[in-house]
Amino acid sequence: MRAEHLVLAVAAVTLAILIVLPLASLILGSVTDGGKPTLEHFREALRGRLYVQALWNSLVLGAWTAVLSVVFGLPLAWAVSRTNVPAKAFLHLTAVVAYLTPPFLTAIAFVNLFSPNAGLVNRFTRDVLGAPALTFNVFSMAGLVLVTLPHTFPFVYLLAASALESVDASLEESAQILGAGRWRTAAAVTLPLVAPAVLSGALIAFVNAIALFGSQAIIGLPGRVFTLPTRIYALFDYPPQYGLASALSLIFVAITVAALALQRRYLARRSYVTLGGKGSRPRLVDLGAARFAVLGFGVLVFVLAVAAPYLTLLAVSVSKSWGLQFWENLTLKHYRFVLFEYDVTRRAIVNSLVLASAAATLAVLLGSLVGWVDLRTTVRGRKLLDYVSLIPLGLPGIVVAVALIQFWLKTPLPIYGTLLIILLAYTSRYVPLGVRSANTAFRQIDPSLEETARVTGAGWLRTFRSVTLPLARPGLFAGWLLVFVPALQELSASILLFSSQSITLAVAVYNLYETGAREPVAALAIVTMVIITAAIGLATRLGRGGAGATVPQ
Amino acid sequence: MAGISIERVTKRFGATIAVRDLTLEVQDREFVTLLGPSGCGKTTLLRLIAGFMAPDEGAIRVGGATLSAPGAVVPPERRGMGMVFQNYAVWPHRTVFQNVAFGLEVRRVAKAEIRERVARVLELVTLAGLESRYPAQLSGGQQQRVALARSLIVEPSILLLDEPLSNLDAKLRERMRWELKDLQRRTGITFVYVTHDQSEAMALSDRIAVMHGGELMQVGPPREVYTRPANRTVADFMGLVNLIPARVVRAAGADSSVTGEVTVAGDHRVAVALPPGAGDGAAVQLAVRPESVRVVPPSEPGLPARVTEVTFLGNLIDGYAMLDDGTRVRVQIAADARLEVGQAVALRVDPRAVTVFAA
Repeated sequence: MRAEHLVLAVAAVTLAILIVLPLASLILGSVTDGGKPTLEHFREALRGRLYVQALWNSLVLGAWTAVLSVVFGLPLAWAVSRTNVPAKAFLHLTAVVAYLTPPFLTAIAFVNLFSPNAGLVNRFTRDVLGAPALTFNVFSMAGLVLVTLPHTFPFVYLLAASALESVDASLEESAQILGAGRWRTAAAVTLPLVAPAVLSGALIAFVNAIALFGSQAIIGLPGRVFTLPTRIYALFDYPPQYGLASALSLIFVAITVAALALQRRYLARRSYVTLGGKGSRPRLVDLGAARFAVLGFGVLVFVLAVAAPYLTLLAVSVSKSWGLQFWENLTLKHYRFVLFEYDVTRRAIVNSLVLASAAATLAVLLGSLVGWVDLRTTVRGRKLLDYVSLIPLGLPGIVVAVALIQFWLKTPLPIYGTLLIILLAYTSRYVPLGVRSANTAFRQIDPSLEETARVTGAGWLRTFRSVTLPLARPGLFAGWLLVFVPALQELSASILLFSSQSITLAVAVYNLYETGAREPVAALAIVTMVIITAAIGLATRLGRGGAGATVPQ
Repeated sequence: MAGISIERVTKRFGATIAVRDLTLEVQDREFVTLLGPSGCGKTTLLRLIAGFMAPDEGAIRVGGATLSAPGAVVPPERRGMGMVFQNYAVWPHRTVFQNVAFGLEVRRVAKAEIRERVARVLELVTLAGLESRYPAQLSGGQQQRVALARSLIVEPSILLLDEPLSNLDAKLRERMRWELKDLQRRTGITFVYVTHDQSEAMALSDRIAVMHGGELMQVGPPREVYTRPANRTVADFMGLVNLIPARVVRAAGADSSVTGEVTVAGDHRVAVALPPGAGDGAAVQLAVRPESVRVVPPSEPGLPARVTEVTFLGNLIDGYAMLDDGTRVRVQIAADARLEVGQAVALRVDPRAVTVFAA
């Protein structure tokens, strides 16, 4: 009994420091000014032209991205899970790679292609084709949607694909045998059944799209398309307006939470669990010759979301000067510069690796505590713990940073500007992922396995260490990786919290971009991608080896 | 006319043959059950009839029109059949009314008529009043009826049923059997019913088609399949059976109805109908159902045996008796008889209740 309370207490205190106190400071900061209560911040946030415009832009961006994520994600999901389209592995990988690519890299790549004057494609249409009317200015809302889309359509794709695969074949066959043709069956049965998943994916796409600081700063600031994250960021310029930033942050949170609540309510009300029974997989639709047209659509997505960003960055990084004849003057000097001369690089690499590993470990550890208390004990308050740990889902990265600043500036501990505050930010941002993974992992372990250990005389700690943990390990490791990957490329919170000593990879890229060093930025971006890929590969291999060794079949 | 002709149909999945050179004739208005263990090809055969897959060889005809042949399959939606799935496949996003009305909507039936016919068919399956419920608000049995109603409303001449009762609890399953049988009689629809439950098959069918390993083992009325199994596989699948080793001592003539004689457990002679080709001295097996074995006092003529196990089951007594040579024979006798372990008895069998297979 004592152990449960100890675990509960540790988890509660940690969650208070990570989430509750910063959030409370944020709320307090939004309604006070110099210690006196005021609604002035909210009045300004909701009336000021600048802020209303930013709010509107965020909503427009989110709406367009969500709609287009469905336009791209749903057909791709249908093709992969329901048709005989060739190269399914390639199409699936396209979505996964697009999802894993740091959003700010896509933005930088597209700037190199479509910036009004220097963009390669624009130069080509204007100078070679002589058609200036056909140039595309990436520094616009349309451009912002374009560079955001590759990171949001995978949400719709993944959710829709798994929904399409889990629709029991007999539900469709019943319609068919009653005389409904392919389209009638799709409209009357398949579509309504997968609609909750698709809508859910679109809402998650919306929430993620509006939270991406990197693309909105890189594309939006030059185009004067201000959004909530960039406005909040600007409020930290000297003199910082903490109160207004807090109020704006809370409005941001309200939008995010509203979208997530809608998603959850819709899913809860309209998710259809298929009855037991054989539950056969649906037959694949034979597309005939049309399958190459469908593949063409997939290739188009691949080109936009994967090939264009990566090839562009690669080309820029090795060209002396980016332009139409860039291949005539190739060089590796930008790599030499970012790797050996630019001393920020190495510091950023080390910082990011340390931060991502530490944050992933902490998030999973905390998640395990919360999950264990929730599933294996009957302590009062365990549900509350679970809810609190999910709060960060509704907090965009930049809001987490604002909240942490609000809180820690009020304490005597000087952690602002250190790695520690960034670690706190990452951990609190990704705690929900840790909790979810731990919950899933523990749920799969039958309590009788643990009870057997207890009956044979092992204490709870011993039981946890030698039964629960080894069995949960693969699931926990998956959770670790789920935190590690986004933490390695985190920008939205880091951008407000870094100092020259605690700079991270993403911030280093962004800062170098701000100085206008086009080619070195591309080199650093490629280096970043190599490091991210290598780290994921290494972590996966280590995790797999360990898990395989400890889990008996 | 909605008889089904299945002619030399073969269906392969990669290297495995799910249905092998199978021929079966289903008469109009007949209730035929495809019976067999899982993996015997019965569901594949049903899906071939429905048109969800094409045969690799052979053809399926209904009323003279060829519906399935290799590479030429009329799609399910143009066959006008009905089908009830094991998991009911009731659409969770549609109400009972919307589920049942679907087939008529597809056929562009007028709204007023749809309402009237849905009401009538829901009456038939005793679901009247539940029109606006969603499937999640229904019990398994009710969902089952929705699936039935949905199939029946389009008045198919053929209804295919894939283990429709296997997800119901025992009591409900029993009741639905009677209702299904009654429904088939009243509607005159040709039923092709798939199950692995032999008692269900016997209760429902005009004829049972026993399948094993993708092949048809035997087709016939329930009584015939039960009492005159064509081979050991059928005998074994159709309920409990004793297989008692024996040897032919007096062969029958060419006519198999002529009784021959065999020796059992040493040299106890028993008169039985021998299969053709079982000559003198041939080793054979006698297939006898436990309830066909009579247990009499040891003084009476019969095979001497000793009772080794007795279980009182309420409606009968189930037990084992051991013959002189150690062969164990399962017996099931009336519950009011007295039987005790160790008791010496004699076993008698009516020759007409014995089927002889070559060993």
